[in-house]
Amino acid sequence: MITRALRHPSFVVGLAITLLVVLVAVIAAFWTPHDATAMRISARLRPPSATNWFGTDQFGRDVLSMLMMGARNALLVGVVAVGIGLSIGVALGMVAATREGSLLDEAIMRICDFTFAFPAVLTAILILTFLGPGLVNAIIAIGIFNIPVFARIARGAALQVMARDYIRAARAAGRTTFGILYRHVLPNITGILIVQASVQFALAILAEAGLSYLGIGTQPPNPSWGRMLNDSQTFLSQASYLAIFPGAAIALAVLGFNLLGDGLRDVLDPKSKER
Amino acid sequence: MISFLARRLVTLLTTLLVAAIVIFGVTEILPGDPAAVMLGLTATPETVAALRTELGLDAPAFQRFFGWIIGFFTGDLGISYAYRVPVAGLIAERLQVTLPLALMASFLAATLGITLGALAASRANSLVDSALMASAQVGLAIPNFWFGILMVLLFSITLGWFPAGGFPGWETGFLNGFHALFLPACALALPQAAVLARLTRTAVLEALGEDFVRTARAKGLNAGQTLRRHVLRNAMVPVVTMLALQFSFLITGTIIIENVFALPGLGRLIFQSVGGHDLVTVKSLVMIYVGAVILVNALVDMAYGLIDPRLRFGRGVGR
Repeated sequence: MITRALRHPSFVVGLAITLLVVLVAVIAAFWTPHDATAMRISARLRPPSATNWFGTDQFGRDVLSMLMMGARNALLVGVVAVGIGLSIGVALGMVAATREGSLLDEAIMRICDFTFAFPAVLTAILILTFLGPGLVNAIIAIGIFNIPVFARIARGAALQVMARDYIRAARAAGRTTFGILYRHVLPNITGILIVQASVQFALAILAEAGLSYLGIGTQPPNPSWGRMLNDSQTFLSQASYLAIFPGAAIALAVLGFNLLGDGLRDVLDPKSKER
Repeated sequence: MISFLARRLVTLLTTLLVAAIVIFGVTEILPGDPAAVMLGLTATPETVAALRTELGLDAPAFQRFFGWIIGFFTGDLGISYAYRVPVAGLIAERLQVTLPLALMASFLAATLGITLGALAASRANSLVDSALMASAQVGLAIPNFWFGILMVLLFSITLGWFPAGGFPGWETGFLNGFHALFLPACALALPQAAVLARLTRTAVLEALGEDFVRTARAKGLNAGQTLRRHVLRNAMVPVVTMLALQFSFLITGTIIIENVFALPGLGRLIFQSVGGHDLVTVKSLVMIYVGAVILVNALVDMAYGLIDPRLRFGRGVGR
C-alpha cells in the first residue's frame, strides 16, 4: 500500500506540502527569524528584503515570523477541531449504527441533519458572540460542526462493516457490542475516517482564517493568517505583499490537506477513484 | 405522489419550526439586555424598565415567540435596536444587494464550472484535463476572501476597472450596481465553480460510458453533438443538485465577502448586528438564512422525488 501511495501524484504532492507546513509550525515553536510580536514603528511597511524576507507590516513586525507562528495556529485549529469531530462524531455514529432503526439512531441522525441546515460560519459567529472571540472558542465552534460530519460517515461505514460475516461470527463467539465495535468495526472504518479527517482539516483551516479575517477568531498579538489578510486591506495600495503572503499560506496549507485527502481516498479505496 | 409531497411538506414545516425554536432560544440566552444596550451606560433602571415594557420584552417568552413567527407573515419583525428602524424594512433593503450578488455568483459558478468540467471530461486524461483539474484543486484551496482582495489589487487598484468596494444603489442605474457587484460575485463563485467543475467531469465521464452514448454515435452523431444532446443532459442531475446544495456555502460566503467589499447586504448586516447585540435583527436574519437553506434542501428532495419515483418510497436523496 505504501508503494502504491508513493506512486500517487496527489498523495505525494499533498504529503510534501503538509509536511512542509508541519515543519514550519514545529520550527516556529523554537525559532523565528524575528520576534513575531515585536513592533518597530521605524521599520514599518518595509518591502521584502534580505533582513525581512517577506517584508514588515504596519507595526514593523516581521511578516515571515508572523506567518510561521500563524502556521502553528492553523495546525492547532485543524488538529483540535477535527479531534473534537472525530472523537464525538465517530462514537455517536457507531452507537447509532448498533441501534439501527431505533429511536436513538433516528434522534442522532435527525440532529445531524438539522445541524447541516445551520450555515457553519454564521453559527460560528453566533457561538463566538456567546463565548467571546478568541482562538479556543473558534476551535470549539469549528469542532462542533465536524461532529455531524463524522457521525454520519461513521454510521454509514459501520453499518456496511456490521453486515459482514465475521461480525456475526464475533457475536456468536460471545463478544460484547463494545468489543465488536472496538476490535472489528473501528479498524475497518479507519481508512474512510482518515480521508474525511484530511478534508475536514483543510476546511477547519479555511474556517479559522475566515473567522480571524472577521476579527472574531485568533486575537492579537497572536498572529493569524486571516487576521493578517484583514489588516493588509488598509495598506493594499502601499504594501500589496502584505495581502499576498498570508493568503498564499492559507491556500498552500488547504491545498496540501485536500490533495492528501484525494490521494488517500484513491489509495485506501481504489473503487472510489474519479468520485 | 400527493402523499409523498405531503410527507415532505410536514417534514419541512417541522424542521422550520424546530429551527425557529432553537434560534429564538439561543437569542434569549445570549448575554446583554437589549433595552440596556439601547440606552447606554448612563440609563437609570427605571428608564430601562420602561423601554423593556415598550419593546414588549417583559412579555412571556412563548408570547414573544409566537409574535415573532406571526411577524414573518405580517411583515412586522420588530424595531432594530441599533438602527431604530423596522427590521423587515432593513432586511428588504439589504436583500437588494445580497440576492443579486448570490444569483450572479451562482450563475458565474454554474457557467464556469459546467463548461470547464465538460471540457475536461471530453479531453479526459489529456494535458487540458490535467491542467483544468489542477486549477480546480487550487480554486478549492484559495479562500474566497483572499481571491476578492487579489482581484481588488489587480482590477481596482492597479487597473482601475472596478470599484474596490461599496455599493452605489440600484437607483443610480443597473450598470453601476452590476459593476459594483461583479468582483464580489467572482470571488464568491470561485470555490463553487471548482466544486462544480470536478463534479461535472465525473458525471460526464460516467455518462460517456453508458449504452445510449454508443447508440447515439452509431446513429451518426459526432462527439460534440452526443455530448451536448445526450451526455450533458444526463450528467446534469447531480450537478444541478450540487448547485442547489451549495446554496448554504454561498450565503455563508456572502457574510465574509460583503465585509471584504464593504457591501451593505444581509451578510454585513448580520455581522454588525451580532457585534452590536442587536438581537431582534439577529434572530430574524438567522431565521431567514437557515430557513432558506432548509427550503432549498427540501425543494431539491421533492424535485428528486418527482423525477425519480423510486425515491418517493425510499429514504430520500443523499442518505
